[in-house]
Amino acid sequence: MPTLESLPHVLPEVALAVTAAALFVLEALWQPRGRARRVGFPLLALGGLLAALLFLVASPSSAEPRFFGGLLTQDPFSTFVRGVAIVATALAVGLALGSPSLPSNRRVEYHGLLVLLALGMCLLSSAGHLLMIYVAIEIVSLTSYLLAGFDDRGGRSAEAGLKYVLFGGVASGVMLFGFSLLFGLFGDLSLSGLGQALAHSTTLSTGAGRWATLLALVFVLAGLGFKIAAVPFHMWCPDVYEGAPTPFTALLSVGPKAAGFAVLLRFGTGLWPELATDAAAATSALPWLLLLGVMSTVTMTVGNLAAIWQDNLKRLLAYSSIAHAGYMLMGVVAGGREGPGAVAVYLAVYLIMNIGAFAVVSAVDRSAHSEDIGVYHGLGRRAPLLALAMAVFLLSLTGLPPTAGFVGKLYLFASLIHHGGFWYVLLAVVGVLNSVVSLYFYARVLRAMFLESAAGEPAPVSLANSAAALAVVLAVPTLALGIFWQPLAAIANFSGSLF
Amino acid sequence: MFRVWAIPLIPLLGFVYIGLLSRRLSRRAAAIVGCSTVALSFLVSLEGALQLLRGEEALTATFYTWASLGDTLVRLDYRLDALSGSMALIVSGVGFLIHLYSVGYMHGDRGFNRYFAFLNLFIFFMLTLVLSDNLLLTFVGWEGVGLCSYLLIGFWYEKSDPPPAAVKAFVVNRIGDFGFLTAMVLLLAQVGTLSISELLQSAPGAFEAWPVGALAVGLLLFLAATGKSAQVPLYVWLPDAMAGPTPVSALIHAATMVTAGVYLMARFRPILELQPQVLEVICAVGAVTALLAALIALAQRDIKRVLAYSTVSQLGYMFMGVAAGGGVAGMFHLTTHAFFKALLFLGAGSVIHAMGGEQDITKMGGLRSKTPITFWTCLVGALALAGLFPTAGFYSKDLILADVLHFGEWGRILFAMGVLTAGLTAFYTARWLMLIFFGEYRSPHHHPHESPAVMTVPLVLLAIFSFGAGWGEHAYAHFVGRVLEPPEGHVPGQVIAWASGAGIVGLLAGFLRYRSLVPGPGPAKGLARVSERKFWVDEIYDALIVRPYQFLSKVIASWVDGGLIDTALVNGSGALVRAAGRIVRPLQNGQIQVYTLAMMVGLVAALGWMLWS
Repeated sequence: MPTLESLPHVLPEVALAVTAAALFVLEALWQPRGRARRVGFPLLALGGLLAALLFLVASPSSAEPRFFGGLLTQDPFSTFVRGVAIVATALAVGLALGSPSLPSNRRVEYHGLLVLLALGMCLLSSAGHLLMIYVAIEIVSLTSYLLAGFDDRGGRSAEAGLKYVLFGGVASGVMLFGFSLLFGLFGDLSLSGLGQALAHSTTLSTGAGRWATLLALVFVLAGLGFKIAAVPFHMWCPDVYEGAPTPFTALLSVGPKAAGFAVLLRFGTGLWPELATDAAAATSALPWLLLLGVMSTVTMTVGNLAAIWQDNLKRLLAYSSIAHAGYMLMGVVAGGREGPGAVAVYLAVYLIMNIGAFAVVSAVDRSAHSEDIGVYHGLGRRAPLLALAMAVFLLSLTGLPPTAGFVGKLYLFASLIHHGGFWYVLLAVVGVLNSVVSLYFYARVLRAMFLESAAGEPAPVSLANSAAALAVVLAVPTLALGIFWQPLAAIANFSGSLF
Repeated sequence: MFRVWAIPLIPLLGFVYIGLLSRRLSRRAAAIVGCSTVALSFLVSLEGALQLLRGEEALTATFYTWASLGDTLVRLDYRLDALSGSMALIVSGVGFLIHLYSVGYMHGDRGFNRYFAFLNLFIFFMLTLVLSDNLLLTFVGWEGVGLCSYLLIGFWYEKSDPPPAAVKAFVVNRIGDFGFLTAMVLLLAQVGTLSISELLQSAPGAFEAWPVGALAVGLLLFLAATGKSAQVPLYVWLPDAMAGPTPVSALIHAATMVTAGVYLMARFRPILELQPQVLEVICAVGAVTALLAALIALAQRDIKRVLAYSTVSQLGYMFMGVAAGGGVAGMFHLTTHAFFKALLFLGAGSVIHAMGGEQDITKMGGLRSKTPITFWTCLVGALALAGLFPTAGFYSKDLILADVLHFGEWGRILFAMGVLTAGLTAFYTARWLMLIFFGEYRSPHHHPHESPAVMTVPLVLLAIFSFGAGWGEHAYAHFVGRVLEPPEGHVPGQVIAWASGAGIVGLLAGFLRYRSLVPGPGPAKGLARVSERKFWVDEIYDALIVRPYQFLSKVIASWVDGGLIDTALVNGSGALVRAAGRIVRPLQNGQIQVYTLAMMVGLVAALGWMLWS
């Protein structure tokens, strides 16, 4: 579809771009003080995000899913992930209200960067062209680098930002190398064109061509693995999560990961279109699936095992989010309609429970000024509502019924088991075993909150802030969706298809 | 448009309202909300029943579609047909009267609002159980009424008796639930659905090749029923349940919840019929329970315990009636029993109220003149329980006995047991009446008084139904006969003669024996002691089941759980996992060089492996 006619389909992105620009310009021209600054700008950001969400819901359906000459692809899955990205950003704006981890004189920048990040995630979710993928990844990465280093209390945050830049630079360099190899081998940059070339080209039949293709695939995986924080491209994750301001960490653990999964799925189905329709028939995609399967196994195992030793809640949740990337990779491996559907369900569930858990961490941090597990001792007595919400999130992250996390895992495991085949079922078994291991460290936090008593006179935990309110509000759907999961089934049905 | 789900949902709203505002709500408001929601529910049920009379076969409503994986959909449907509709009318109608009565009875209790919240919750679960068209939803109701029963038995938790009684009811019912769940799984596995209407249609075909399965399902469902409806061998919880407030005994432990098992049997008749032995077992267990409980009721001294054993005994009749013949007789007896037993319990409550909490009937006497309304209404209830013409009990009991007489090879023996039970029932009923209302006033308690109108009006209404409900026999049989097989012809004269003869003889014997005799305070002697000690069933269960079970659980706790599971498996695997975690840790040392190196090593490893394979 040509450029001008494509515009109505990217109105959400337009709204985000306009909002981000407005935030930066207004700040520079007006320099507001007091209430307008504290409340007005977050409200403006929220308004822009809401407008984007409304445009997204009302976006016209189109017979031709490719826009701007194939740069962007719109399908139900991308629509869903764009929604997740926007909602996650809105929650991060809510969490940031009054957060001490953000310097008060740079709040406006923070919100502008958040909206820009949302724009990047939306573009990444629907990118159908290697160039677009690269540009979108860089928008997401660059804004993330800045946001990770935003907390100016001590050097932890700055260190996190720098590490993120260095690691991200290497990863995207490797990925770009992979892209250039693909272009050199097949002479095309759009995913659909690459798919056709791959199906008809003779390159793969020669030994050297096969080698070069595999090299390119592994390199591309480095960039995408970095975005979803999969092992071995995960090592930035704990340090950055710990150092970054908590409201942004909450977003970082969900939004870019969701967009990364969208592009991972789209890359797969673009190069091997059978993956989207009949996963079992996609024999030529086997090396790719094999890579992803191994990555899934290693990612969840390493994430869960490393989380066991963490005493810092943000680090613990960082490793837990690595493990969850491993779980979601199971859905990517399963393919077909069911795999992406399961990934979408898990993303929705993960959005609620993980941001909820970070909201609790943020709320406790505001009173205790620490994320150490020690300050959670006796939280069940001091702030029963908050501790209860945390318990719901932790049980949901473990995947125990009757929580939403259970339903999400059920869909992931089911997608593999319905696919059938020894290796697929084995991967599901590994996933179940990992869930068992994960109970160990989640239960540690539960034990600290409910069974152990605080040493000395701990500071009272205030519930009168946006983080605590969000935590309690998010606990409700985490529990309700575990019992009435029809909305999740609707998500699985809706967003299972990629073009 | 008629919405069936409104029937259970209205009391639920009442529960939520009273429960949430419990502390702030005035007693008056709680009472009004509690009573009016149940009354509204009754009116909606009535409207539904009228639509059925106008020719609709059934009214259904999908309350919620519960999606699970793949094609398995759990549709939570409510379905009002003649059978569930008649039950819904009893539950909401009798429930309303008992709510009304409770306003007077619980007056002044600290937990007044809590009581009405629980009572409304109970009505919601009971109506869900009755109206559900999905076995899973039925199970929710089944467990829900059990929960409410537990909460209300233990309502006065500060006293010593109620909490253990509540626990006993809960534990004994778990055995029945095992049957329910297992039957549910078997049905789902063999028929592939949990929708009751679909189950009843396709189960005969599905079990054709597997008769043992049909037998198992039937017996397991009956096991569930023996728990909820207090049949041999699981009846022991019901008499203890009398520790709860008396209106609760009337509503839950006489009129509605304990009849859920009977209703379940009636509902699943088409599946039970697949294996005729199942029906024989049900009928025989019912007869044994009826006789045993009637024998125990003979020598009880607690005003409510007599009625509790009588309920167990009458429930036995209902099972006989639901298994023999077409099942209508059992359901009809369930209906009349709901009236007269609720009446007797409420009457007993009125007596206890008058006596200032005294429950020992040997310490009462002469209340006829002091509480006249209670006396006259109780007299009607007692005559109905004894099955005397023309009260409701006469019609329903004879209907059952007529069916039993021609049921299978053992019909005559079962019939004889039924007639004997009828005689015994009349005898203990007379004893109960005589000791409470006749003779000298024997209590040191100074001033017995009649209960307020809010309590006596329900008594009078229930008495009218206990007296006259039997005349609706044919209308009822015609109505419920759309679902169950209607009985053929009239009750034979010999049945009426035997049953009424036994009843009259029993009544006369009771009146004559207890006209002047009052049992002394010490333990009874001879055969009466066997009855008074309840055949030592509780002691036997204690020795045979409870103690070995406790011993076994101690052994398992210390050896299997403590030694094997805790030490070897749990701690062992925990240590293993922690050790594995320790291996992963040193890489994450904070140096970005190491991080990128790890990434590169990973890339090279992946590449090498891909190229090698």
